[in-house]
Amino acid sequence: MSATRSTLIDALPRAFGEERPPVAWWLAGCLAITTVLTFGGLLVGTSSIHTSLRWILSPDAQSAVVLWDIRLPRTVGAWFVGALLGLAGAIAQGVFRNPLAEPYLLGTASGAALGVTIVLFASGASVGALAWTGQLGLAGAAVVGACAAIALTIALARGVLQTSNLLLSGIVVGFLLSAVTSLLLLTKPDMWRTMQVFLLGSTGFLGWSSTSLLAVVFCVCAIPAVLFSRGLDALTLGEDTAQSLGLSLPTLRLAMLGIVCAATAATVGEVGIVGFVGLVAPHLVRETLTVNHRYLLIASPLCGGALLQAADLVSRWIIRPAELPVGAVTACVGGAYLALLLWRRTRDA
Amino acid sequence: MLEPAPSTPERPIALACRDLVVGYGARTVLDRVSLQIPAGRWSAIVGPNGSGKSTLLRTLAGLLRPRSGTIWLQGRPFGAWPRRERARRLGWLAQTAVATDLTAAEVVALGRFAHGGWLAHRDVDDDAAIDRAMRATGSLRWAARRVSTLSGGERQRVHLARVLAVEASVLLLDEPTTHLDPPHQEDIARLLRQQAHGCGVAVVSAIHDLSLALTADRLIVLGEDGLVGHGSVREALAGDWLSLAFRTRVNVVEHDGAHLWRPAVAVLADE
Amino acid sequence: MIGIASASARVRHPAMIGALACAAFAYGVFAQAAAGAVVLRDDSNRSVVVPHDPRRIITLLPSLTETVCALGACNRLVAVGRFDDWPPSVKRLPKVGDLDEVNIERIVALRPDLVLLSNSQRVGARLRELGIASFAIETDRYADIARTVRIVGELLGVPQRAAALNARIRAQVRAVADAAMAQRRGPAPKVYFEVDPAPYAAGPDSYIGGLLAKLGVRNIVAAKLGPFPLLNPEYVVRRDPDVIFISRAAAPHLAERPGWAGIKAVREHRICTFPERVRETIMRPGPRVAEGLRAIAACLARVAP
Repeated sequence: MSATRSTLIDALPRAFGEERPPVAWWLAGCLAITTVLTFGGLLVGTSSIHTSLRWILSPDAQSAVVLWDIRLPRTVGAWFVGALLGLAGAIAQGVFRNPLAEPYLLGTASGAALGVTIVLFASGASVGALAWTGQLGLAGAAVVGACAAIALTIALARGVLQTSNLLLSGIVVGFLLSAVTSLLLLTKPDMWRTMQVFLLGSTGFLGWSSTSLLAVVFCVCAIPAVLFSRGLDALTLGEDTAQSLGLSLPTLRLAMLGIVCAATAATVGEVGIVGFVGLVAPHLVRETLTVNHRYLLIASPLCGGALLQAADLVSRWIIRPAELPVGAVTACVGGAYLALLLWRRTRDA
Repeated sequence: MLEPAPSTPERPIALACRDLVVGYGARTVLDRVSLQIPAGRWSAIVGPNGSGKSTLLRTLAGLLRPRSGTIWLQGRPFGAWPRRERARRLGWLAQTAVATDLTAAEVVALGRFAHGGWLAHRDVDDDAAIDRAMRATGSLRWAARRVSTLSGGERQRVHLARVLAVEASVLLLDEPTTHLDPPHQEDIARLLRQQAHGCGVAVVSAIHDLSLALTADRLIVLGEDGLVGHGSVREALAGDWLSLAFRTRVNVVEHDGAHLWRPAVAVLADE
Repeated sequence: MIGIASASARVRHPAMIGALACAAFAYGVFAQAAAGAVVLRDDSNRSVVVPHDPRRIITLLPSLTETVCALGACNRLVAVGRFDDWPPSVKRLPKVGDLDEVNIERIVALRPDLVLLSNSQRVGARLRELGIASFAIETDRYADIARTVRIVGELLGVPQRAAALNARIRAQVRAVADAAMAQRRGPAPKVYFEVDPAPYAAGPDSYIGGLLAKLGVRNIVAAKLGPFPLLNPEYVVRRDPDVIFISRAAAPHLAERPGWAGIKAVREHRICTFPERVRETIMRPGPRVAEGLRAIAACLARVAP
């Protein structure tokens, strides 16, 4: 017995031993990039970088507000949004065993957007700038909308077992709910442009209240996802094999889709629809790192967070002091990345 | 309520089914199949392509819901087993060895899924089972390698180790020797026999290679019209079940106490 | 600028009309180049064969509808845009669409001889293909208000009335502005005008910016950002406006925007909001511009430091 133990201990550390330094380096690198971007987030805005640096060294009343109440929560909030999307994307790709799956696949984004639209309609308030109660209301509406969308998708697919039916009905529900949102907006022309910008994704009004809400949701989503990641590992062996191992496929799918739903809804409620991060972040991780789902579910949020922080920086830097919707930036970068991927694949083929 | 046949004390019935009807859509693949699979014996399922070997294994593993009929695992109706307990007693190996990005050790460790559960980490027993399974299949060398970087045969052995790591009392294996070269096929056959005879496991495997299948203890012979017969190799040969199943003359010769399938081309060349 | 010059330069040479009409024909425009028609270049830089004295007009923008009516041609309108509600008489007319969505079938069925629309409405190209004279007008800047009146006056064949209307608008605007300037004590206040809470601001180059300039206040938005820029919210915090113009829906939540509670206008509650009826006189670059200006001036007199 002790002999077998020792050989196994020989083998397993080798199994991870090959991996461990790269994973550790990778994660450390991601954290370093995030630190740099967070610092960059303090420097980049409507002032020159030189002025920002002077502010950090000797802030006056106004620059302190700009640095610590506007730029810092915005860049930290952007990280959490990206992290939630990266997490949701990695989970979605694992659940559907498809590297092209993304968090918005099952109509969650459209459902959340519809929920937000309805609440804004009912309250007559505007997007983004709301106090705690308003934030919670919006996030709640987004979660309800996203859950309703997922329930509708699952009902339409008659359960969670048929992947292709699920994906197809997700597309149907997504289109349907976006159409309802558009119809609602058509009746209120004064909200049209605001909502359009919101749906394109905007990090401009992320304050400490939004950021703490996102942080809470991130913890609530990430911890169970990482703890239950073995289920996704088992799923990589095929649905039959996973089931033969004692895994309940419907339970796993429902739990994981619930997490995707909550993560997506929280981000849509706070910053609108930010495309491509949820698709590209897990992809980037898998391109550079081959790991099991435990590490994938840790690395993808780190990657997604850094991506969205970078996108947020670009969105406020490129035409400063005006800005671009952050969703437009991620769409450009994500589209370019996928095009590169496609080009490399067809070249190698 | 149907009851399984009583199992004798020395050779208990590990897995039994009665009047199993399985089909896809309008097609019925298995029509009223009844089987009793004893513990401690290696049973090979043989039959022509499309005769339902995989379907039978998938149904017995609980992955395919039969239209009618009953399955008993260790005397208890299949549905009465809690999922995880059943998974600890029943191992299943798919026909295709999936190329995953997990390492071989991680894949084999997944065999302990039903033992530890969602959150539990591996304990000493798990480590020992993983180690035994990888040693037995000769896959310990690749423990640290990604399964996607292994050859088809190596991959097959890793997946076999994963099934062995379950330490189940019933193993259902769909073509465990497909991607292997003959010496390794022989290793696997020896391993399966050892699992059956040494550990008292009921091993059921679909085997394509007739000569290899004839080294098993028992044969389950499926023809295009359903179950041809189920019994010891000697009974199968005496009844010429193979010829009935394949609807052509299947020559089996005995050489040094081993049964060998002799292709008809060779017979013609001799004459 | 190009628009003003070319739109007022009527092409009088018959041969040129023929040539342009042929070119128009190639685009699928038929039978419009009848006697008395003129060819004008619109703000999307396309030649439009405009019939002499058009009688069946469709306007797709509230400000254009108001302009046509202010020129006394309300009875020539056969349909308007979905949000066009001034003067009240146009509410009875069929609605054929808005900025993004236009019911082309409906427009064709109404057989208009002229469709007036904004430069940004894509339906213009489609209407031209269908042989309907559609004239695009740019209305971003303050000067565009008077220019629009002049162009529409020419299109309708009532240039004198247009000149009179412009003179009247100018006089009213000057009166309001002079009164406001006379009342002001102290330095000109810094103002931020939020068009919608994305946040889009009204820059100095926009017609709203033009109105603010008439009142001698300082717009916090730099002119180089364009007429309606999407701002980084911190820009507003740094420029620290004395007065904020904003929609009624967004006003209660100003202090909740990160860092905005410290802005002087928010701190001292120097916020101007307007009822919808009044707000549209400010938001529409049309002939009621003096009314909008008066509302802005009244609020400024009330809240400005």
